[in-house]
Amino acid sequence: MKIKRILIANRGEIAVRIMKTARLMNIETVAIKTAVEPNAMYLSSADVIFDNTEDVSEIPVFLDIEKLIAIALKTNANALHPGYGFLAENAYFAQKCIDSKIIFIGPSPDAIYKMGNKTIARKIALASGIPMAMGSEGNIANEEEAVLIAEKIGYPVIIKAASGGGGRGMRIVRKSDEMEKLFIIASKEAEKSFNDPSVFIEKYIENPKHIEFQILGDTKGNVIHLGERECSIQRKHQKLIEEAPSCALDDNLREKMGTMAVQIAKAVDYYSAGTVEFLLDSDKKFYFMEMNTRIQVEHPVTEIITGIDLIEQQIRIANGEELKYRQSDIKLSGWAFECRINAEDVQAGFAPDPGKIISLNMPSDACVRVDTGVQAGSSIVASYDSMIAKLIVKGKDRKDALKNCKMALDKVWIKGTKTTLPFFRMLVRHPKFQDGSFTTAFIEKDLEKFYFNSEYEEMLAAWLATKLFIEENLTDESINIDFEHGKEMSPWLLNKRINQF
Amino acid sequence: MDLSGKPYKAFIQRQEAIKKQYSKKQAEKQHSKGKLTAFERINLLFDNATFEEIDAYVTPADQPVEFGKVERSYGDGVIVGHGKVNGRLIFAYAQDFTIMGGSLGIVHAKKIAKIQEMALKMGSPIIALIDSGGARIQEGVASLSGYAGIFHNIIHSSGIIPQISVIMGPAAGGAVYAPALTDFVFMVNHTSYMFVTGPNVVKEVLNEDVTSDGLGGAEVHARKSGVAQMIYDDEENTILALKKFLSYLPSNNVENPPVVSDDGSIGDINEKLRDIVPDDPNKAYDVKDVINQIVDRNSFFETAELFGASLVTGFARLRGKTIGIVANQPKVLAGVLDIDSSTKGARFIRFCDAFNIPIITLEDVPGFLPGVDQEHSGIIRHGAKLLFAYSEATVPKITVILRKAYGGAFIVMNSKNLGGDFSFAWPSAEIAVMGPDGAVAILYRRELADSDNPVELKKELVKKYRDKIANPFIADELGYIDEVIDPAVTRKKILSALNALSNKWVKVPARKHGNMPL
Amino acid sequence: MANDKLQIKKLHALSSENRKFTFSLPLKHSIRIGKRDYEVKLKSDEKLGPYILWKNRKYPVEIVRSRQNKYEILFNDISYTFTVETPFSLQRKIVLDSKRGKVEQEFIKAPMPGKIIDVLVREGATVLRGEPVVILEAMKMQNEILSPVNGVIMKVYARANTNVMKDDLLIEIKVS
Repeated sequence: MKIKRILIANRGEIAVRIMKTARLMNIETVAIKTAVEPNAMYLSSADVIFDNTEDVSEIPVFLDIEKLIAIALKTNANALHPGYGFLAENAYFAQKCIDSKIIFIGPSPDAIYKMGNKTIARKIALASGIPMAMGSEGNIANEEEAVLIAEKIGYPVIIKAASGGGGRGMRIVRKSDEMEKLFIIASKEAEKSFNDPSVFIEKYIENPKHIEFQILGDTKGNVIHLGERECSIQRKHQKLIEEAPSCALDDNLREKMGTMAVQIAKAVDYYSAGTVEFLLDSDKKFYFMEMNTRIQVEHPVTEIITGIDLIEQQIRIANGEELKYRQSDIKLSGWAFECRINAEDVQAGFAPDPGKIISLNMPSDACVRVDTGVQAGSSIVASYDSMIAKLIVKGKDRKDALKNCKMALDKVWIKGTKTTLPFFRMLVRHPKFQDGSFTTAFIEKDLEKFYFNSEYEEMLAAWLATKLFIEENLTDESINIDFEHGKEMSPWLLNKRINQF
Repeated sequence: MDLSGKPYKAFIQRQEAIKKQYSKKQAEKQHSKGKLTAFERINLLFDNATFEEIDAYVTPADQPVEFGKVERSYGDGVIVGHGKVNGRLIFAYAQDFTIMGGSLGIVHAKKIAKIQEMALKMGSPIIALIDSGGARIQEGVASLSGYAGIFHNIIHSSGIIPQISVIMGPAAGGAVYAPALTDFVFMVNHTSYMFVTGPNVVKEVLNEDVTSDGLGGAEVHARKSGVAQMIYDDEENTILALKKFLSYLPSNNVENPPVVSDDGSIGDINEKLRDIVPDDPNKAYDVKDVINQIVDRNSFFETAELFGASLVTGFARLRGKTIGIVANQPKVLAGVLDIDSSTKGARFIRFCDAFNIPIITLEDVPGFLPGVDQEHSGIIRHGAKLLFAYSEATVPKITVILRKAYGGAFIVMNSKNLGGDFSFAWPSAEIAVMGPDGAVAILYRRELADSDNPVELKKELVKKYRDKIANPFIADELGYIDEVIDPAVTRKKILSALNALSNKWVKVPARKHGNMPL
Repeated sequence: MANDKLQIKKLHALSSENRKFTFSLPLKHSIRIGKRDYEVKLKSDEKLGPYILWKNRKYPVEIVRSRQNKYEILFNDISYTFTVETPFSLQRKIVLDSKRGKVEQEFIKAPMPGKIIDVLVREGATVLRGEPVVILEAMKMQNEILSPVNGVIMKVYARANTNVMKDDLLIEIKVS
């Protein structure tokens, strides 16, 4: 193996995850210790720790390209894994690694660049015959043009920021008389958020499901897919729970979509792990959305149903090895869910709730896998994401997995911050989630309450409040005061005190 | 026993008459305003059946007939007496709004004065439950002189017995000075008011519209004027809190405060203390988290929480013994000292000093609040009060420097040469003339101006300054603090320091009194 | 008279959504559901800390805050706020609420610690319910803090580029 030592340019759960596989492959790892999290759990899994706590820079080290390269060179790491987030999809960074003779565990800078630019990605998809939501070719100059295009592709349409993401600068237009107003708002918002007012228009697909395909490609030109994941349960474009496979797909559709996913990956000579995202409408028509050129947060559900370690494959591919699987080798078996347990306050609109994890208890059942970078005593710090753990639960089919998931959720116990657990407890009991008919609009449209509490929990809490009130205020024993003791004084002091007056 | 004999007839008649006077109807009237009656308040405050009323049957003074008929009531609108609160003798008076609006006539005033004098003689705390329309107009100057007598008594007893006022209704005009002179003022939200001139006068003179609540409600006095220290949402909670509050205070200035058994759940070595102060000196934290990890569990009783909130004051216990806590609050205005927090701190320290309560100071102060407003309003004069109070106090005084201790504020906050007995510092302490940013900007002005990359250079210099100057070790080596301690042992260190200081005595030069900058 | 001791026979725990739970004193360590009493126990162990044992299930509890008669309790990951009222204080509450009618001032406080990125209103401005007033950045996320009421901005405490702690006062609005 060429790869001897990997610098993990990331933290938290994914750093732990990568190091686990590296250890199995007898590859050493380097972790970076930061001032923000000097006692983080991921540090204990590394072979070498680079101490960066003296760094006073305001940019996190995981975003500092020069610094990361310097650390890799200094610690003799000949490869680098970017994880997800931070610089994982930065083509310049990938190129910088290659230039510095560091193996970048990920796709080529070219593929990152092409898929990262929405306009280029759309063009490539179009050229490869991938079904896509109709839209404007490139950016739109003004609201008149917007109206013309919208008439052509048919309402509703969505206005999107060309250089954006995450919901900002997005507006759904349902009628032509709304266009002028919403176009200006979207464009202004895009300018404010991304310093670029340019927007484009796409056909808006109502209430779709979010289906994505896991891709693996090697440097020899082999590309396969590992089936789909469904991530329709989202809040403001943040995924909350993912599952694999999806109950919306049959073998036929799976093959059709999978083939398309492989096709687009091949169009950019893709290697490493990647994800092709589609929207699937109620008529089972699917549309290409984008391709993510990194390992995804939700990769474990695919690992569960395929039995393939995706991190290992990433490392082997980066090492120049040929994929040992062909498409026909990939068999999906069972069902898996992944709940992202975040330090968020479900009752306050999922607001982050940073803090210190006082205690944490995860189920140890055979059907449960927990990926986490947090242990009792760890802090969820405001400067990074709020993930505490990924609770991955499997079953022989969806029903079985759901049952296991419900059981596992009741066993999880986290103290110190509020978490998204009550949300998942609600979700696994929701009929629409149980029957699989949910879409990306589920949280906005189908939910009245974002958490679950059994009928009697509030009453028990009220009982506790009352008990506390009585203990503090109405119990005579609570104030057990000894006034005589206060009068005991050494004669020396007493005399002086009295003589003073 | 047969009580139908002649001498008892009048006795029983009177008893029945007074029963009638406190009728259900009047109670309901008071209840309909969300208020309890004077007796209900008294009963809540005192231990079961321990309250002994005196002067229940006095009647109002005669009044000129021109002002119409005066209610001939027993007690003249105030209940006075003594009883036990948590087993200890306490004196109290409660004004009764249902009788002539609780207005203060001369008999009413004399009853209060009587109980005040008794409390002083016995060396016992006195509680005023105030619910009064003010001076009784019909009685004119007699009523006013009644007030004067009450004020004089309060001032006389000040610093000898704890005096606490609880405002449970209106307190208007000159009457407000009675509570203002006492040590602590409790108020009830939405049903109690204090103002020198009421909303009607404000409207007449200034043509400004203001509600009673907006002019002198509990929230206003707790947050803005600082007149009230403790406010509660209802009367029951107010009185329950008052009972708790009393448990911290000694009966008088000779005794030590009472002792309460400690459940021992806060260990003398507490590692949680290491995690509270953030490494980043610019990050805020709640100093109350530090306090709660040092003192006996649930024992911290904060005073004047809403006023001058950049300084936290309050009582707590260490192994059951009362201490006073003065702590900078980094969470509010970064913990700076301003006019409000300085005066609040000064008054609290003087109370502790008068009643033999040791003062623990937790210091994390970047300095005094800069600004035209503060300077023009006299931060110099008000800051001097805090300085005076600290220096003058002869009770045990212990300081723990948690983080920042800069400049004048370092001196003021009970520094050793100001008479502090023990001074500890956590390793995170930064003791210096000024903060790193300011110091670097002055010391390296030229270098920074000439630099190509002043931001980076400044960062470097700040780090150097922090390493070389702004740390606790230099002060430790020079003896300006006693010890740099592991935060985890803070409670242990304070306890042993208090133990060493338990017989502390300081001879104060004979004088009438010092001249505190007021 | 002096010995008419105010006997508290009942306590009400009033939830923030105005649901009322009544308990008679002395407090029983059981809760009646239908015709059966189920035992409630408050316990604590080293691993889990305090928990409530009810119907053979352990529910984690945490007392987040208690202030006067107000208790914020985290029960099985969900927070509940109760004020514990005596029959009289409950009556007082009803009396005062009906008198006051509505709140006159609204204080917007920081819902979480973070950094103020932008203040979108100035003193004297009119705001509508749901209009963003402050942008607070926490955990890499910009959060719009919305006005809960229609009204006029009385005072702006928040300043751009300053750090705030949870519950710090940001904006004072006069409700109109």
